[in-house]
Amino acid sequence: MMLSLLPQLLVSGISSGMLYALIALSMTVVYRATTVVNFGHGDMVAAGAYAVFVFGLGFGFPFLVAMALAIAVLFLAGFATQRFLMQPIVAGPHLSLAMMALAVGYTIRGALRLEWGTETLNPSRPYPQDIYMFGNVVITTDDVVICGFVLLLLAALFLLLQVTPLGKVIQATFQSQRGAALVGINVPMFHALMWGGGAALGAIGGVMLSMITPLTPDLGQWTLVQGFAAMTLGGFGSLGGAVAGGILLGITEKLLGFYANTVFIEITGYLVPILVLLLRPQGLFGRRAIVRV
Amino acid sequence: MRITQAIIAVVAMAGLATAARADSTQGITASTIMIGNMGPFSGPQSTFTPLNYGPEAYFRYINEQGGVNGHKFVTVFADDSCNEAKGIAAAKKLIYEDKVFMIMANPCSGVAMAIKPMLVQEGVPWIGASANPKISRPASPGIFHSTYTGIESGRAMASFAMGKPGTTKIALAMHSDDWAHGYCDNATDYIKSHNGEIVATTALEHGATDGTAQALQIKASGAQAVMACLYQPELIVLLRELQKYQVDVIVLGALGADFDQVIQAFPNHDYLKQRFFQPYQFKAKIGTGPLKKFHDIFVKYLTKDELPKVGEPTNFYYFGVPAAIVTVEAFRRAGPNPTRESWEKAMESLKDFDTGVLADSETFGPDKHVGVEKMYAVGLSAQGQETVYKAWGDALPDTE
Amino acid sequence: MSRVTRRLFWLIPLVLVPVPLLLNPYQQYVVNTALLYVPVGIGFNLVVGNLGLLAFSNVAYFGLGAYTSGVLMAHLGLPWWLTVIPAGMVGGVAGSIASIPALRGVRLFYLAIMTLAFGELMRWTYIRWEVLTGGSMGMAVPTASLFGWSLDTDRRRFYAFLAIVVLIVATTDRLLRSRFGRAFLAIKDNEIAAAAMGIPTDRYIVLAFAWGGAVVGLGGAMFAISVGHLSPISFDLTELIRQFAIIMVGGLGSLTGGIIGAVIITAAPQVFTSFPGFDELVFGLLIVLVILFLPRGLASLLARAHPAFADRYYRD
Repeated sequence: MMLSLLPQLLVSGISSGMLYALIALSMTVVYRATTVVNFGHGDMVAAGAYAVFVFGLGFGFPFLVAMALAIAVLFLAGFATQRFLMQPIVAGPHLSLAMMALAVGYTIRGALRLEWGTETLNPSRPYPQDIYMFGNVVITTDDVVICGFVLLLLAALFLLLQVTPLGKVIQATFQSQRGAALVGINVPMFHALMWGGGAALGAIGGVMLSMITPLTPDLGQWTLVQGFAAMTLGGFGSLGGAVAGGILLGITEKLLGFYANTVFIEITGYLVPILVLLLRPQGLFGRRAIVRV
Repeated sequence: MRITQAIIAVVAMAGLATAARADSTQGITASTIMIGNMGPFSGPQSTFTPLNYGPEAYFRYINEQGGVNGHKFVTVFADDSCNEAKGIAAAKKLIYEDKVFMIMANPCSGVAMAIKPMLVQEGVPWIGASANPKISRPASPGIFHSTYTGIESGRAMASFAMGKPGTTKIALAMHSDDWAHGYCDNATDYIKSHNGEIVATTALEHGATDGTAQALQIKASGAQAVMACLYQPELIVLLRELQKYQVDVIVLGALGADFDQVIQAFPNHDYLKQRFFQPYQFKAKIGTGPLKKFHDIFVKYLTKDELPKVGEPTNFYYFGVPAAIVTVEAFRRAGPNPTRESWEKAMESLKDFDTGVLADSETFGPDKHVGVEKMYAVGLSAQGQETVYKAWGDALPDTE
Repeated sequence: MSRVTRRLFWLIPLVLVPVPLLLNPYQQYVVNTALLYVPVGIGFNLVVGNLGLLAFSNVAYFGLGAYTSGVLMAHLGLPWWLTVIPAGMVGGVAGSIASIPALRGVRLFYLAIMTLAFGELMRWTYIRWEVLTGGSMGMAVPTASLFGWSLDTDRRRFYAFLAIVVLIVATTDRLLRSRFGRAFLAIKDNEIAAAAMGIPTDRYIVLAFAWGGAVVGLGGAMFAISVGHLSPISFDLTELIRQFAIIMVGGLGSLTGGIIGAVIITAAPQVFTSFPGFDELVFGLLIVLVILFLPRGLASLLARAHPAFADRYYRD
């Protein structure tokens, strides 16, 4: 009985891991571009899910239109956050940058709470939820949709970065900001665009999350922690690493929870970064995270 | 807008401060009674604040009838975020600055336990909705529970599940917080004292988006029933996982979730029929029969911000109301010049008092400060109809 | 600043001594809370402000200090004053442990995430170590006493807190003005250059973490008896944001800033407690505005008003 459930745990781990990967990916985009970790990202994720809910139920748009609008709104929000709040203090201490991101997130959460704090919302799926059996492994439409969506996004990101001229610009700026500025790339504008992109990706993550769990202003918090852990595991700043890290984390969480004790699920996301940074600071695929003095 | 409300409240309070005091009891003047209404208006527990708005609606309704013996109720809200340090500050503000007669609602057990010594010392009454039974047991002067605590609810969860013939193997799924312990610990006591067995204990934390490991552990344990001491989002997460893996158990939720909203989260109810139940506090289905009156009170007297943005007033609005009903009744009995002593005496004189809301009638006494005991259970019948049960298989007839 | 001006600062606690006579118990509780957050702000600021390392484990020291004090009082029946030093020591040890990744060269956001995780692991430990901490139900802290004098009212606790806080402020001030403070500044400016000049950077990093942790642990001991009921939820990420707000609003790397921040961040929510639901929104906006328009916090306003308030031992 115990071992026969292993394939199921792996499949479910991958499904959860894909979500963590999506959140980690959206944070990695911002981190690679600006070397700032967005500690308020979880709230942008929640804001994205709420935006879909408002456009969908409030204004009556069909799901895909609502989602496109939500992504656009979050892109603008991310863009504006960088342009008007982060850019002015970019020369300041790192702590100010971290705190600004955290405070923006806290403000968003406060606004969501003021409006919807007294209730839990249940957005309806735009697709019917079915259950498929493969031997004794159960897969739901949710699993398929989430995994499919994340893989699709990954492929799109890969193409954008590797094939298009815009991707070359992004890669060049990832490599050297000063160099990019010298060849005439508008680096502050680039930063703002990447923040917008990160927030838009986060919004997609939020929508996926609201398919599997009810909507509350704290929707993004749990996944944010897992996102950090996935980023660290995969090596900070590595896009592929973020995805691999997310999936590994999802699987670890399930195995540890089932075979050891469910009380460990909560702290998997905290134990993993500590162990990784102590044992292999560069993560699985990233660059070295430590400074030698 | 809440800002306008707040300004009105401040102006009203300033006016009150200048009004002459009728007698020595704090918070009672010739024409008003000050009520401190404390709850988690910010922070992750803010989904419990309908417990604060329920009684507020009833006071506004009573005020419009002219109040009680010429006294009208004036409410001061205070935000505790379910955080002890903040809750103590909020309670001290209500007691020493706003000088309220009593503190009400207060859904957070941790905060209630932290402020209890101060309330007893200062002689400020408390009627709360928090689940921790230790607050009102043993009875402390002025501290009352007009609704069910973890003991009644935990027992109701366990006894209903074990009422299904042959059910003895039970699993727990719970948060690691004081609220969940309030339910699950008492359910466990009942199960163990009735020859039941806890076959698995699983933790599902607040904010978790997945319950695969928990659902599979429950499945592997061979449990026949699950005591799910979980808030609403996580209860839905767990139910979805149990459904996904077709785990054949009955699931008893706690009072942290709204039955209707949980059901709404499932487009297809088949799995939930005769499987998912919650202890039920009320004498009829929400918004129907005797409860219709309260539905109308909520809709009429609460503002847009205080009501749900989507749908009708939920379970928690009704569950909050009895605190205000018994308070008003005790003031009615205490006569035109109420004092703290006469109010408390009147509270303890309530016997078989029907609130019109709760399944049980309220009976208090000098040593009995929890008014109600008997609970029902709510679930979906085999036909998928929301049904209130007195016990397993014993449905309460509809009142509509 | 002349020595005479600095001596004038010692008048401030003296002025505070008669203050409790003017306050009701609620106001006194708020003042006490502000006082106990002064060491919390100072300790935090030492590591993130003066040393410039992104260590986010402050709530861990705070909680460990509070639980050490509470557990020693509840289980061993010690009087509170005997638990204060152990609370500081436990905080200091936790600080030294949190400095290990920094010594291994983990910096910036890596360090931030690691220390954040450390703090959350501690919260998980309070929940799981039920025998000692009462788990998630929390534990009641017995009434405190100081040399047999019962600290059962907020007013009495005020004087005990005031004495401890004055001591902490004075010693930390001395520390920052000594070669230690100059070494912190050198490490913050350029760690490699500092090491090249022969400054034993590792030793100073551990010292800053340990001193910061100890000071915050003392704040925790005060928190334990001020609230009288400890539960893990008091030491969550929201608490971390509050402690961040103290140093950001007060002023990064400034001793005065830690004090001002503690006062403002404790007092500000009291204004909003009667406006249900506005707490988080206003709090977030306040931090955003301060970072944008007062990057050196409110302390920089004071410094502008009079040079006596300027910090000698901090540069951006």
